[in-house]
Amino acid sequence: MEKREPFFWLTVSSSVIILAFIVLPLFDMVTDPSLSMLMETLKDRDVLHSIWLSMYASGTAALIAFVFGTPLAYLLARTHFRGKRLIESIIDLPIVIPHPVVGIAILSVAGRNHWIGEALSALGIRIMGSVTGIITVLTFVGLPFYINTVKDGFEAISPRLENVSRSLGASMAGTFFRITFPLAWQSMIIGLIMCTARAVSEFGAVVIVAYHPMIAPVMIYERFEAYGLKYSQPVAVWLVLVCLLLFLVLRVLTLRKAKES
Amino acid sequence: MIRNKMLGTLVVLSCIVSAVLAWSAAAEPQGKLVMFHAGSLSVPFQAMEKALEAKYPNLDLLREPSGSQKAARKIAELNKPCDIMASADYRVIDKLLIPNFADWNVRFATNQLVLCYTDKSKYSNNTNADNWYQVLQRKGVSWGHSDPNLDPCGYRSLMVLQLAEKHYKQPGLYDKLIANRPKENIRPKSVELISLLQTGNMDYAWEYLSVAVQHGLKYIALPDQINLGTYQHDNFYAQAVVKVTGKEPGTFMDMKGKSCTYGVTLIKNAPNKEAAIAFLTYMLNPQGGLKVLKEMGQPPFVPCRVPTEEMKARLPEALKDLVEVKK
Repeated sequence: MEKREPFFWLTVSSSVIILAFIVLPLFDMVTDPSLSMLMETLKDRDVLHSIWLSMYASGTAALIAFVFGTPLAYLLARTHFRGKRLIESIIDLPIVIPHPVVGIAILSVAGRNHWIGEALSALGIRIMGSVTGIITVLTFVGLPFYINTVKDGFEAISPRLENVSRSLGASMAGTFFRITFPLAWQSMIIGLIMCTARAVSEFGAVVIVAYHPMIAPVMIYERFEAYGLKYSQPVAVWLVLVCLLLFLVLRVLTLRKAKES
Repeated sequence: MIRNKMLGTLVVLSCIVSAVLAWSAAAEPQGKLVMFHAGSLSVPFQAMEKALEAKYPNLDLLREPSGSQKAARKIAELNKPCDIMASADYRVIDKLLIPNFADWNVRFATNQLVLCYTDKSKYSNNTNADNWYQVLQRKGVSWGHSDPNLDPCGYRSLMVLQLAEKHYKQPGLYDKLIANRPKENIRPKSVELISLLQTGNMDYAWEYLSVAVQHGLKYIALPDQINLGTYQHDNFYAQAVVKVTGKEPGTFMDMKGKSCTYGVTLIKNAPNKEAAIAFLTYMLNPQGGLKVLKEMGQPPFVPCRVPTEEMKARLPEALKDLVEVKK
């Protein structure tokens, strides 16, 4: 048998510690509520609705990131210009801003004391306490995760392929949709997963913009405050399970397709 | 002989020194002073803490804000060492601490519910104590309160609406008002409504007077019969009943209306009684703590009150002059 270097064991032991660090508390939380309690929670319409709203709002946020973020990611991957670093830092801002600050910032723009808020209310769009508001917040916090992932994806594709296509007479749009997109779509799926995952976990910013209607993390908080840990845990377990399942399915599907192609 | 004389002088001197030391120790409160109090008293007590610690540099006031019930339970059930307990509902002291853990209960200040607004709130120019309940029914007026299940200010706001129905003799008023308050306008804690007011996302919000004053908000003060601020109206207040969630989802309990009257007491086995009395002497003084409370929007009783002569007799000597007997 080949003798392993001590360095190898160092890497293994750190990995074990890290995994235990992540899994142990979660495992404890997931296994703590009894099965009957979990089933009981599943019959609660408010809980089901909050989990559905969480998935729906996060998914919509990811789709918005897909539509508007993909061109931006492409631009950042393919061009070099002055101030590019600045733009990249701005895109990262939602990651570093404390969550409640995000909520307050969005509310102050959406209020009647701001021209944007006035324009919105003239259009009949309400941010405070609405699903629109929740999606706005989730898009805000999720965008950097989508853009950064997809930008890396575009950068990994050689510009030469695009150059060949262009030199053979294809337009920029044609080249993007027929050459770049088919090569980069995997990174887009991963970007969508990252963005949705970030959005599902958001609490601090959402609770400021919308307490009702309740997304799952807000409901977990409300249950914890009003009834204690015992009644908030099952909601958390279901949210974690649903997310885990969804992301697992997405990953498996994309990996399989990637192998086939 | 001379030696004896010197020894004698030394003894006398040391006696004087130790006497002076002992006296100054008695006169100068020092050490840790533990105080449990209602969360809504945090701001005025913080100001009092600063004033007192400036006066007695060796004194360290340790404050633990929490719900009033919880504060009393920490003393009565968990036996946590504590010198002073101040409650947002004076009856908590009567119910949970007297006679085993405290001898007396001084009512020192009040709070009340007010309707807050800003310059930009709709109809803010014409809204007053006589027509607020009509304004809150108008379409397009956005108003809110905190979650009655999470925040006492929330169920108290609803009580005010119920009492308004009776006071203004407007049957069905409560339901009409609630119909114009979408669920989305409920927030977990009342303080969060302030940012909604200030950013123009909401026109009117229910708050405690103290919160309104401490945040510099404009507010409409309501008649004593409905503002939950005067304990003489407790019987009228008791007609308001709000259903809040119980210990588990699907269960409920009724909260009955009662006044926001603050009470304070000295815990019987207080570890630092001297310092506690020094603090209370300052706190119940119209020029000291009561002035602070007034500035912070928690109108004090000047002088503070106990219900019976008998209870007044049980007060520490230093406090007797600061308290009157009044039902």
